[in-house]
Amino acid sequence: MSALSEHVIGEIKELPGKYPQPRSAVMPALDLAQEELGHLTQEAMTQVAEALQLDPGYVEGVATFYTLFHLEPVGKHRFYVCTNLSCMLRGSESIIERLKVAIGVTEAGEVSKDGMFSYEEVECLGACEYAPVCRLDHRYEKDLTETKIDQLVNDRRLPRRYQKHATAAPATRKPAAPATRKPAARRTTRSTRTKKADG
Amino acid sequence: MAEQRGTVGGPVLTEWFATADLHKLDVYEALGGYSALRKVVTGMTAVQVIDEVKVSGLRGRGGADFPTATKWSFVPKDHPGPKFIVVNADESEPGSAKDRYLLENSPHMLVEGAAIATFAIGGHDAWVYIRGEYDLPFEMLRDAIAEARTKGYLGARPFGADYPLDVHLYRGHGAYICGEETALLESLEGKRAQPRSRPPFPAVKGAWGLPTAVNNVETLATVPWIIRHSGAEYATRGTEKAKGTRMVTVSGDVQKPGNYEIEIGVTYRHIIEELAGGALPGRKLKVFWPGGSSAKVLPASMLDTSTDLDGLKALGTMGGSGGIIVMDDSHCIVKGAARLLRFYAHESCGKCTPCRVGGNWAVRTYDRILAGEGSQLDLNILDRVQQGLQAGRCLCGLGDAAGWVIQSTMTHFRNEYEEHSLHNTCSVEKVAVGA
Repeated sequence: MSALSEHVIGEIKELPGKYPQPRSAVMPALDLAQEELGHLTQEAMTQVAEALQLDPGYVEGVATFYTLFHLEPVGKHRFYVCTNLSCMLRGSESIIERLKVAIGVTEAGEVSKDGMFSYEEVECLGACEYAPVCRLDHRYEKDLTETKIDQLVNDRRLPRRYQKHATAAPATRKPAAPATRKPAARRTTRSTRTKKADG
Repeated sequence: MAEQRGTVGGPVLTEWFATADLHKLDVYEALGGYSALRKVVTGMTAVQVIDEVKVSGLRGRGGADFPTATKWSFVPKDHPGPKFIVVNADESEPGSAKDRYLLENSPHMLVEGAAIATFAIGGHDAWVYIRGEYDLPFEMLRDAIAEARTKGYLGARPFGADYPLDVHLYRGHGAYICGEETALLESLEGKRAQPRSRPPFPAVKGAWGLPTAVNNVETLATVPWIIRHSGAEYATRGTEKAKGTRMVTVSGDVQKPGNYEIEIGVTYRHIIEELAGGALPGRKLKVFWPGGSSAKVLPASMLDTSTDLDGLKALGTMGGSGGIIVMDDSHCIVKGAARLLRFYAHESCGKCTPCRVGGNWAVRTYDRILAGEGSQLDLNILDRVQQGLQAGRCLCGLGDAAGWVIQSTMTHFRNEYEEHSLHNTCSVEKVAVGA
């Protein structure tokens, strides 16, 4: 599934009226799109552009600028692990190493074979008194240890009724679409950070 | 109730934080919450509000340290159309977590402060731009605003007064640059967040091209207290020129990291050794960032430095956003600086050449040095890059901040840089391995 449903497009068309100027709706609209599809496909960004009467290139330009928009498939549970200075001093490097083993990936952005997990190294999450920290399923996980990483992963592998963290998920319209693995084809866009930094 | 790792029951901002369920409107109100907004909309003029805050001496807590009342008074009074307060809740400065702490404990404090500020500039709407990663603070603010609207404290007739006031939320999506006010405004308008050149200043042409004052969360959260107790009482705290209390976040190599409310003027020794419990067992403090990663570092020998904002400026550093990062003798400063440069290079929006190119240049140089391939040439490169990043060559402070990290760590820890670059060794990490 790479296109947005009629329902979501309808919602997106309602957004511009909520802001003093309609263009402000672009990020909330991309949010809705990403919530439905798991990540932003080319098709979805074009649909958002059409719904908001903007240029598709403009919408993609916004999407690639911000790190919380994903242009590649992501795991159903995505770890955003802070590796900035305060977390680094508290051992975030070993947290990353443990996490890779626990979810079975070799690099940031790679999705685990079952589509359940992926991780990303992020900049300061603003919870430095709890370092090392990560953001997972819309909540912060604090004072991370290697044991805690294993727990977080294992809890999410259990059938839903046994999951400790089942309630932490936000009120989504629908369960998130399982991330389909789509290797190679769009590899270039993953490093939006390089694009950004190199202007 | 939010988990608390920091001051509870401090003099101003954290005064009520020991009370359970402070995030609920009735609890907040029972303690005296919303009495300031009531007082403002039912019995004060905008000028009176600005004057009261002027007396308090309150200065912006987002890092720029600009007098709040002065900023409000820049918004033209005779402008016929809408004017806005935009709340900068995009806290992303490495080492700073205090706005999150305030929001998770007492979201109504910000709602009330934002509404008062909106009244003071003669506007009707405040927009809170909150960073996308802050899910819990977002939800708490959303619920707080909904409660305040239901109660009639926000809306068409707050407290029965004929002066509509409302607070709206807008979520960021992960970009450090949005902490810079004009980049934040661009983002709020649905664009890539790249700083604007000034003038025109936001007070004249801000959000959606209309007059705007951009204030930090902590700054606005202080305002209700000032209205309740008077500006003069707030001004009894702090130093002669830097008044009041402020939040600091202590993180890194200390025993009790946390968000502490301090009276401006106490020393860093007091904060790091007493409030945050000092160094970890068996280790010694080496260096600290006094105000977020963008503030020039101070070595541990300068722990007795005062938090007085002007004193810090005189030292060439700053109190910034209050994020105090502490590093001890088991960590290598070159690695720490390299990590921060990676951050600044990653977060550069790409608009200004020195920052876009210089940041990446520094990252590659640090990579060479840490890979044991460094030489005197690399030290010279770092020195040239840090000069090129500084002195207002970029539209915003991101470039300067990257330069300061290189410059200040090289000034105080030249020996570690030389060990790495010239001798391919790191005496610090060897200590760590043995420890």
